[in-house]
Amino acid sequence: MNAIYPVNDYGPLMPGLVMAAVAIVHVFLAQFAVGGGILLCYFQWLAMTGRSVDARSFVHGYFKVLVLISFVLGALTGVGIWFTSIQVSAPTIGEMVFHFHWIWATEWTFFCLEVVAGYCFYRYHDQLSARTCLTLLVLYAFAAWMSLFWINGILSWQLTPGHWLTTHSIVDGFLNPGFWPSLFFRTIVCMTLAALIGCVVVNVIPDLSREQRQELINKAAHLMIPMLAMPVLGAWYLYSMPSDSRSWVLGGSPAMMLFFMISVGASLAIGGYALIGLWLQKLYINGATASLLLLLAFGATAGGEFVREGSRKPYTVRHVLYSNGIRPEEVAGLRFRGCVSDDPFPVIHEKQLPNEVVTIGAKVFRRQCAVCHTMEGSNAVVHLTGAWDADQMRMNIAKLQQTKPFMPPFAGTAGELESLVQYIQWVHAKRPGSWPGTIDESNLPKIQRWLDEAGTAPAGNSPHPQTTEAEISIAPSVALGSLKR
Amino acid sequence: MNHMFPFRFDSHLSFYLVIYVLTWVVHFFLMAYVLAGSLWLVWTTLFPGTGTVPRTKQPLARLLRDWMPFALSGAITAGVAPLLFVQILYRQQFYTSNLLLGWRWMVVIPVLVAAFYLLYVVKSETASRWPLIARLGLSIGIAACFLFVAFCWTANHLLSLSSAVWPEAYRSGEAVRSTFALSMRLLTWVAGTFPTMSILASWQLRGMRSRTAAWDASISEAEWAVLFNTEHRRLGYASIAGIAAAFACACGYWTTLETSVHTQLIGHAGWPWLIIAIASSLFQIVGWVMQFRRPCLCNRWLTTITVALLTALVAVASLREIVRLSLANLDQATTSTRAASQVGGFRLFLVFTVLNIGLIAWCIHMVRSRKPRIPQ
Repeated sequence: MNAIYPVNDYGPLMPGLVMAAVAIVHVFLAQFAVGGGILLCYFQWLAMTGRSVDARSFVHGYFKVLVLISFVLGALTGVGIWFTSIQVSAPTIGEMVFHFHWIWATEWTFFCLEVVAGYCFYRYHDQLSARTCLTLLVLYAFAAWMSLFWINGILSWQLTPGHWLTTHSIVDGFLNPGFWPSLFFRTIVCMTLAALIGCVVVNVIPDLSREQRQELINKAAHLMIPMLAMPVLGAWYLYSMPSDSRSWVLGGSPAMMLFFMISVGASLAIGGYALIGLWLQKLYINGATASLLLLLAFGATAGGEFVREGSRKPYTVRHVLYSNGIRPEEVAGLRFRGCVSDDPFPVIHEKQLPNEVVTIGAKVFRRQCAVCHTMEGSNAVVHLTGAWDADQMRMNIAKLQQTKPFMPPFAGTAGELESLVQYIQWVHAKRPGSWPGTIDESNLPKIQRWLDEAGTAPAGNSPHPQTTEAEISIAPSVALGSLKR
Repeated sequence: MNHMFPFRFDSHLSFYLVIYVLTWVVHFFLMAYVLAGSLWLVWTTLFPGTGTVPRTKQPLARLLRDWMPFALSGAITAGVAPLLFVQILYRQQFYTSNLLLGWRWMVVIPVLVAAFYLLYVVKSETASRWPLIARLGLSIGIAACFLFVAFCWTANHLLSLSSAVWPEAYRSGEAVRSTFALSMRLLTWVAGTFPTMSILASWQLRGMRSRTAAWDASISEAEWAVLFNTEHRRLGYASIAGIAAAFACACGYWTTLETSVHTQLIGHAGWPWLIIAIASSLFQIVGWVMQFRRPCLCNRWLTTITVALLTALVAVASLREIVRLSLANLDQATTSTRAASQVGGFRLFLVFTVLNIGLIAWCIHMVRSRKPRIPQ
């Protein structure tokens, strides 16, 4: 069983939003670093073969941007993601590190190569031969792309663990069904971002004529040609997703579909402009237009990352860990012994709560809901349940995975569920000073009946190959035990 | 713990402890250069001296300004590995202390970002033309950022050791239980960064001694020779003072530790490392004293000091883990490392470690034949 960790309250911000903000910035910068390496190799080659007179000055100017943005912000937001992940869901990052620490350690060796090759080029490029410069850039690009290669396996495992669920082989986990489409897709995204930032950089390099800038921009646009493969790769990635996750992206969840469409629309706009305008018609774009395209690319990245994160629901690691850090196989036991009985952490501002029932409800909220919800801020439980009466609330929470299929099953006793309902209703009532301090016992049997009807298995049409039947069969006996308690 | 750390533990636990300690030492080596270097820059800006060449223009300050951004990049990259293995060894302790510190922990990242960019600013020619007060503000700002990060790590570490106070720390939001313990531990490590920075900078200065002609045409070769000798001595004094201060603060920290921890530190697990730490620190001091008698930096004594320093760092890192293990649940750590060793991937790591060490060596080899580049 997972350890119980303290949960921080970020006020109106749900922890998931904090995570999303850091993750999107990091992904954007990291992908720029990967694509930047490829772009620099291409331009160094253009300079060496005489295909572009100004490529060399571009390489030197671009690398400074890469160092100042990617080496600093990229590296530190990478560490920031780890710290944020711990804040948001310590069990999830713990699970990922546990299963893939040697993959992560391998990625680290490539970070070291990336930093050394990058700094060797940055410090000494003006004293080295063109061939040595190219060698250093190739090593830098190779290391940067390999870091994508390794982390891609870990991230795609979260949604599509595939055969790993039965074999627990690191090869199966790493080379999971989503690995290859995700890797190819991300590589193209990296090249596109690097090319767009290249267009911005070209416009700020001094002493270049418009014709020189245009030539460099058109050359940079060559890295966006692979965007032609994006629809096929995107379809492949969607196909590799579990069917329930795919159905949410394709209409089952309005929010997810909206972000998906933002991502697709922005990518289409960038791809169309790049391929028709920059590549075929060899147009010039100024810094403002290039920045606008880059902003669109940021929107596409943000939308894509939201979809990738959201489509894992109700899990953070499919069939292994729910988004609230509770394991599927723990649910049955928690229905019996309760989810807060062994929680050592008190409720902050406990004295402001009217009684023990509401305090337990606040603890249940913290353990099961607080990762994705706030009480009154973003994705607020008070707003989501605003139109429900008390009985409806009891049933909808008891049958949570049926109420909303991307929610995990409730993992607590009937008494804890009733406490949660009391806590939500107390907040609904504007937190009055006095509130009934005892649970109406007559509600517990029907809550228990709803819990039993829903079972302990998650909703969705692709259940875990091994555990689901066991979970379902254990539910009635657990329910009886819980009633006796 | 009835045997010398990390022997005779469960083999999986020993293995992860060794790899954690070694990767942590690599991280510390680079981090120390940045932290002590930033404090050195504050000193040189605040006290530029009365000589013809102000301390901010002398070889060491130039060197530090030039190399600190890379050293910070290296320190952050090198820090990823121990950050990974600490999550295998002490998952619950590390995560809980992270969470208890909350936003105070998260703010480490923007502070480091700010420090990183300020290092590039201080390296720029523009900054060298700023008035004294602005340059002083810049240097103090950078050093303050790194000291804040060091403070957060120390607070995090101490909190991770005290599982009994976690619920109360969560309720009250007070992350620091004992200001004295925190101060002593923080000062031990801050003082300990000076010997490391001194030896790294000495090797760098030694490599640059022959290239001074192009540094600054207004300074004669004879003046350069005097400046280099002065800087060598300063580094030696800084190192000896750092060792002495670290020892004094470590004694202060000792008084805050529980008796059970003392027992482990002077028991079978810890006493060999205590002896090694003290002996290697004395070797460093002797090395510097011998170095003072030479007219320039000499290979033999620099090598001696370097080996002694690395030995001392491994010893102190081991003592740090003995303290942690004597307060942690050893069975839990054993179980988690045993399970972690079953997941696979170590051979893959080994193969790519060898490959990438080779490629890194190749990169360095490629730039060794460069023309000399002089820091501004």
